[in-house]
Amino acid sequence: MFGIFKPRTFFNLANTSIFWLKIILVFALIVGLVLALVFSPIDYLQKDTVRIMYIHVPSSWISLFIFLIIGISSFISLIFKVRVFSVYAKSLAPIGLVFSLISVVTGSLWGYPTWGTFWSWDGRLTSMFILVLTYILYVSLWLIIKNYNSAEKITNIVGIVGLINIPIIKFSVAWWNTLHQPASITLTAAPTIHSSMLAPLLIMFFSFCILSLIIFLIRYKYEIINFRVNKK
Amino acid sequence: MILQFLNMGGYGLYIWLSYAFAALSLTVLYYVSVKKLNSIKNIEHLYQSEKVEEVTVSAQANRF
Repeated sequence: MFGIFKPRTFFNLANTSIFWLKIILVFALIVGLVLALVFSPIDYLQKDTVRIMYIHVPSSWISLFIFLIIGISSFISLIFKVRVFSVYAKSLAPIGLVFSLISVVTGSLWGYPTWGTFWSWDGRLTSMFILVLTYILYVSLWLIIKNYNSAEKITNIVGIVGLINIPIIKFSVAWWNTLHQPASITLTAAPTIHSSMLAPLLIMFFSFCILSLIIFLIRYKYEIINFRVNKK
Repeated sequence: MILQFLNMGGYGLYIWLSYAFAALSLTVLYYVSVKKLNSIKNIEHLYQSEKVEEVTVSAQANRF
């Protein structure tokens, strides 16, 4: 069942695909940035600050999605004892941490000119802050605990417990009164933003996904080599 | 024209700070990752030359 996830598959993928992924990234990033900073129209309410959305929203999506993978991987690693999944989670965690920080910082920088404050302890912002703390805890535990088996078990538990926060972040804008606006793009309904703004948003999201994949493959390769060599 | 573009309707400071923070943090993450990998590149052959066991959910599950 988990044969497709064997280390060699991703190791070979890392060796062969990183160069081409970098080329795709450069093109997508150039197109995305030009659309976001030059051609995207000014929003009638947010004015030019809407341009911050083109990095804030993709970063938020990626940080949530990565933690979802970390949680599922931790569960598989803990329950089915397939250790490669904890390596996936360990390799992904720093990427998720950086994207969650970008989401929080850019959100604050957008909030000041729009809401009049950098921060508010409402549902969405607080749950996102908890996600950042969970990422910091997860990454720190791997750094602090020297015994691999102990670190694996404890981080697996953190990954599974941290999953509880993902639906809270997603539905916080519906459950509580919040400064944060509801989602403009969902999987179940047509987007409520104009195509001229949707295009740069999706291209920047695509660019960040490619960049995440490149960094993941690099970190995964490191973790696999490091694990096997240290085990000898 | 360039100043007008940089000013971004008076919100340039917030916009450019956001993009600079994202660019800087992602660049640091990328280079730290590459540096870590390069630090053990000289022992990569130890992994490459080995016959790698399949990952299964059987008794072999704790091995790579």
